[in-house]
Amino acid sequence: MLAGQEEAGLEVLVAAQEPAAPSELGWLGLVGRFIRRKPLGAFGIGVVLVLSLAAGAAPWLSRYDAEETFRVANPAYAPGSFQPQEKLYARAGPSLRHWFGTDQFGRDNYARVVWGARRSLGVALGALLFAIIFGTTIGIVSGYYRGWLDMLLQRLMDSIQAFPAMFILLLLVALTESNLVTLSMGLGFVALASVQRIIRSAVLTAREEPHVEAARAIGCGPVRLMAVHILPNVATPIIVVFSIGLGSIILAEAALAFLGLAPIEPPSWGMMLDEGRAYMTNQPSTMLAGGLAITLAVLGFNLAGDALRDFLDPRIRLQ
Amino acid sequence: MQQYIVRRVLLNVVVIFLVITAIFIGLRATPGDFAVRQVASQVTDVHSMDEATALVRHDLGLDRPILEQYGDFVGDFFRGDLGESFATKRPVMDELKDRLAPSIELAILEILIAVVVAVPVGILSAVRQDTWVDYVLRFFAIFWLGVPSFFVGILLLYFLARWAHWSPPITDYQDFFENPWMNLQAMILPAVAGGLAVGAIIMRFLRSQLLEVLRQDYVRTAWSKGLRERAVIMRHALKNALIPVLTVVGLLLATVVSGNVVLETLFNLPGLGLYVVNAIRQDDYPVVQGVVLLVATSLVFVNLLVDVAYAWVDPRIRYG
Repeated sequence: MLAGQEEAGLEVLVAAQEPAAPSELGWLGLVGRFIRRKPLGAFGIGVVLVLSLAAGAAPWLSRYDAEETFRVANPAYAPGSFQPQEKLYARAGPSLRHWFGTDQFGRDNYARVVWGARRSLGVALGALLFAIIFGTTIGIVSGYYRGWLDMLLQRLMDSIQAFPAMFILLLLVALTESNLVTLSMGLGFVALASVQRIIRSAVLTAREEPHVEAARAIGCGPVRLMAVHILPNVATPIIVVFSIGLGSIILAEAALAFLGLAPIEPPSWGMMLDEGRAYMTNQPSTMLAGGLAITLAVLGFNLAGDALRDFLDPRIRLQ
Repeated sequence: MQQYIVRRVLLNVVVIFLVITAIFIGLRATPGDFAVRQVASQVTDVHSMDEATALVRHDLGLDRPILEQYGDFVGDFFRGDLGESFATKRPVMDELKDRLAPSIELAILEILIAVVVAVPVGILSAVRQDTWVDYVLRFFAIFWLGVPSFFVGILLLYFLARWAHWSPPITDYQDFFENPWMNLQAMILPAVAGGLAVGAIIMRFLRSQLLEVLRQDYVRTAWSKGLRERAVIMRHALKNALIPVLTVVGLLLATVVSGNVVLETLFNLPGLGLYVVNAIRQDDYPVVQGVVLLVATSLVFVNLLVDVAYAWVDPRIRYG
């Protein structure tokens, strides 16, 4: 789903770059032009596409199961000795069989990175959906009614933002049974305050537009006004928030997994980074695989989000 | 101005009040977790289980009327009493005091490193806009925004151990005023890792602010008076460009505090972050809520201080 969206976004972006003669260049030419004009944005979109592909097709791309433990013949084994015949193929460096090496349990790092993409993107997508559904509702209601309701809601959101995000997450982890759903909701809750603020400010201008006034004049009720006439006006900020928020949510989820406060299955990049650092002086492959995956994902989503924002609405700035 | 400060303080009290209420409800929505866990670890007889759980709940005061509990909770907080740790039975406030110094020191060092790196880099990038120097510096800034500070910390540990055969002291943490050399050895890596991440944000912001200021009339006047580049940039442009940066540094404090939870855990610094992470692993609710409340309260007032400082630095700003 994400891949499709980003692909559509790419085409639109490219079309906007050169409105003069897009037909002469053809599709490939347009992509080439976009890469030359906005190399960082193109890099980001490329990373997003690769990660979305990895997340979507993890069972076919991962080569091995994420939990499968590999064994090799034990060189210390001799008939009659107490040594086992096989031992774990653990903490190995990159090889043709195991592209990113193996971890301390002999599991394939490449497979875990690929499955980790599904987890990271899945959690981040869930979190943003939560934030956007509630953030849009709060933002529209708050911006539409204004008055005491607006005041109350905004102070409530201020009090959420008074917390450092990590401490809200820690509190939620401490208070709830941690699973991927509560984790997504927690991450979404942290993002809620800034999401609704952006939506609200877009609503404040949208509600004064002539077509909204006209709709009110012909007798539309408040619910219809908000859902049918104002909501489409805030679609752009919603898309921008969506694309920019993903990077920081992936980072927050990785940090929680790194601290050992997130569910341990399915595999996560933050957990690989944490486990890998125990033996990194001997074999850094696990640590690097996890850390570079997080870095690439955050960087890719940030750059792609920036490019999308510049195209859709350069005025919107997130904190 | 005074009126503004009074209004903000009152608003902050309301915000803190909401925070306390949210935590209270959150805690009561998942009651008895600790009681059940403690009982389960000590009582083997299934029949006495309920009885024992009730006893522990009574000890913790969880069986009293809910409003009474709420009143005590709020009253205690405003009197500076955050309850006792389940695990150590010591007052949370006392334990927090010991943990405060390393966290504050780390935050100060990070912001120091961030500013020392970001200000010259930001100026250079803005003054040489759209040259290769600018591109390289901006690329690094964007790159640092994507790299998690804890990964940078681990890479620093890895490469220093590998190439310089150096790693931070694993002995007990030493206070800065007792043993500054040992203290800084333990602090330097997390401070660099966190500082560079914050520095990247400050650098990008300073650059865009400076570019805006450099296009203003009074800067053109300064140029046409024949002033040297140094005087135009440093004396005329930079002063105005730095003011918004000041607010950003204030706002970034929340980010720094968040990031330090992970960095303290990674580098085993006995600050608030490590304390709260350990408390979560033990289900020690009073400690978790104490730390969260303390951090939220101090940040709310630090933000107010930053806003006031903003008006003080820039006389054009008036709050009404």
